[in-house]
Amino acid sequence: MQQYILKRILFNIPVILLVITVVFMFSHLRPDFAEQRAASGFSGGREYEEALAAIRSELGTDKPVLEQYGRYLWDTFRGDFGNSLATQKPVVVELKNRLGTSIELGILQILVGLLISIPIGVISAIRQDTWLDYVLRFVAILGLAVPSFYMATLMLLFAFNWRGWGPPTTTYTSFFENPSLNLQAMVLPALAGGFGMGAVIMRLLRSQLLEVLRQDYVRTAWAKGLRERAVVARHAMKNAMIPVFTIVGLLIGTLFGGNVILESMFALPGVAAFIVISFKQNDLPMVQGIVLLVGIVLVMTNIVVDISYAWLDPRIRYR
Amino acid sequence: MVATQAAVAEHEWTLPRRVAWWVTARRLLARKPLGAFGLVVIALLVVAAVGAPFVGRYDPRETFQRANPLYDPNSFNPQALTATELDRLADPSAAHWFGTDSSGQDTWSWIVWGARRSLGIGVGALAISVTLGTLAGVISAYFGGWVDMLLQRLMDAFQAFPALLLLILIATYLGTSIQMFILSLGLVGISQVSRIVRGTVLSVREMPYVEAARVLGASDLRTMVHHILPNTAAPIIVIFTIGLGTVILAEAGLSFLGLAPPGVSWGQALNEGRNFIRTSPWQAVFSGLAITMAVLAFNLAGDALRDIMDPRLRK
Repeated sequence: MQQYILKRILFNIPVILLVITVVFMFSHLRPDFAEQRAASGFSGGREYEEALAAIRSELGTDKPVLEQYGRYLWDTFRGDFGNSLATQKPVVVELKNRLGTSIELGILQILVGLLISIPIGVISAIRQDTWLDYVLRFVAILGLAVPSFYMATLMLLFAFNWRGWGPPTTTYTSFFENPSLNLQAMVLPALAGGFGMGAVIMRLLRSQLLEVLRQDYVRTAWAKGLRERAVVARHAMKNAMIPVFTIVGLLIGTLFGGNVILESMFALPGVAAFIVISFKQNDLPMVQGIVLLVGIVLVMTNIVVDISYAWLDPRIRYR
Repeated sequence: MVATQAAVAEHEWTLPRRVAWWVTARRLLARKPLGAFGLVVIALLVVAAVGAPFVGRYDPRETFQRANPLYDPNSFNPQALTATELDRLADPSAAHWFGTDSSGQDTWSWIVWGARRSLGIGVGALAISVTLGTLAGVISAYFGGWVDMLLQRLMDAFQAFPALLLLILIATYLGTSIQMFILSLGLVGISQVSRIVRGTVLSVREMPYVEAARVLGASDLRTMVHHILPNTAAPIIVIFTIGLGTVILAEAGLSFLGLAPPGVSWGQALNEGRNFIRTSPWQAVFSGLAITMAVLAFNLAGDALRDIMDPRLRK
């Protein structure tokens, strides 16, 4: 197992290197345009030419590309993701206060996704090809097709017409300050994001469960005279859930991408919404820093997912 | 013996009966009802996009007026002094099938013209993805070794990011003119295309008929262009269809956030309509429905095409 963990980590070092390279590459597609864009956003009362020169030395674009690349790699490995043009503070510092909101939303969405998908997936599998199965599968297809921001809009409409309810219009409060107000602000984006995720999980769980239910050990369980509930919950589910855990890990990236829209829509002060704000402010290092940070975090999440997969399913380690 | 041979020969020479188009359509409907539904929706979208000036009924930017209910020329209320007012946030009617938006523009015509923008941006972006992705995939499979290794790991690194984030990053450094926007969408799609093309080329390369072509003395380039590339057509058509759904969704999302170049777009309509969801939900509901139907249609049609054209890609 230790050997496996070590192998996964070593294998992913070049991936992280390439992730950094991709961000660097895309940040240098049109260097002169980037400088002008930043300079027009942050001239700070200076003459344009002067501001342009200042931005150039700030971004380091006055040096040869290879030197910039080397410097960029080195800075990233030291944990320096650049400074915001708007506040001059390091990107990491700017993001620290916003991390909590994004993580809370992510956890709520995963909970919603699992709560919806596990019962639906199980029912759909054990009642395969009945009308109930068809209805549930249709709901899942709908969940995949309806964009989360449209789903959220429809939920707003529904909540208002049905209960006269809407999310609080006061400024955002954190969960620890006022849990009820915080959850009221979170509930719609959590449901809208969780529904799409639930649809993916449900389809996977259904197909996994159908496969597992046909295996010999499940037939043995039936032959022992166990009730359906025991066969499904205690025997089949254990093996069917392993890929589900993996897909939850892999969906975190997709979830974050969707939350760029959901956080902006509900004015939640998270990391994902901040990238939109930074884009509109022409704060180029901030956008670059957030994308890089998210990319690296997602690669690390993948390592954790791989390792936990191997831990749950010992066959993987010996492949 | 002779008689059976004659029968076989005769049988071989009878051409299969020509199937009328409506028989094909009925078969498709029976075997792939969801795919057929997708194709019908796509056909409607294409009609809307191509025939927007006729199908749309109005110019999407035209603002409409209605009689002012408060009208009274002798009033001191400034709002009552004009005979007409902006026909804003109207409910669906014969004149405005999907109602009007907050600035008095017809929502039906906005959605019809929005189809033109969505499909136009989608086709443009996919053309870039497919061209560059095929090139990368072919180079990767052809050279193999460290070129393949490096190129494919780079493509893996592309996919480490959520697509929307990568799009915002590229758009930050390319700018948000419509050409650059299409280029950004196209660049993000390269990795997926290259991976599938590479896989197909690798499997086709080992086929006996490719070997035969080499034995006959065909050059590498000729083998590639005449014998290998035509076989990647089926997966590329499938990627193109499914990819259009993805790009339309991304365009809608970015327009919704106000990060896309301004224009007659579904995402922008949904975002504007959202503000009036309590009094007049029509604009938000219909523009969101347009996005959903388009994404759904391209995905369903893509899945059906994959099953029909290239069963190897089936999961």
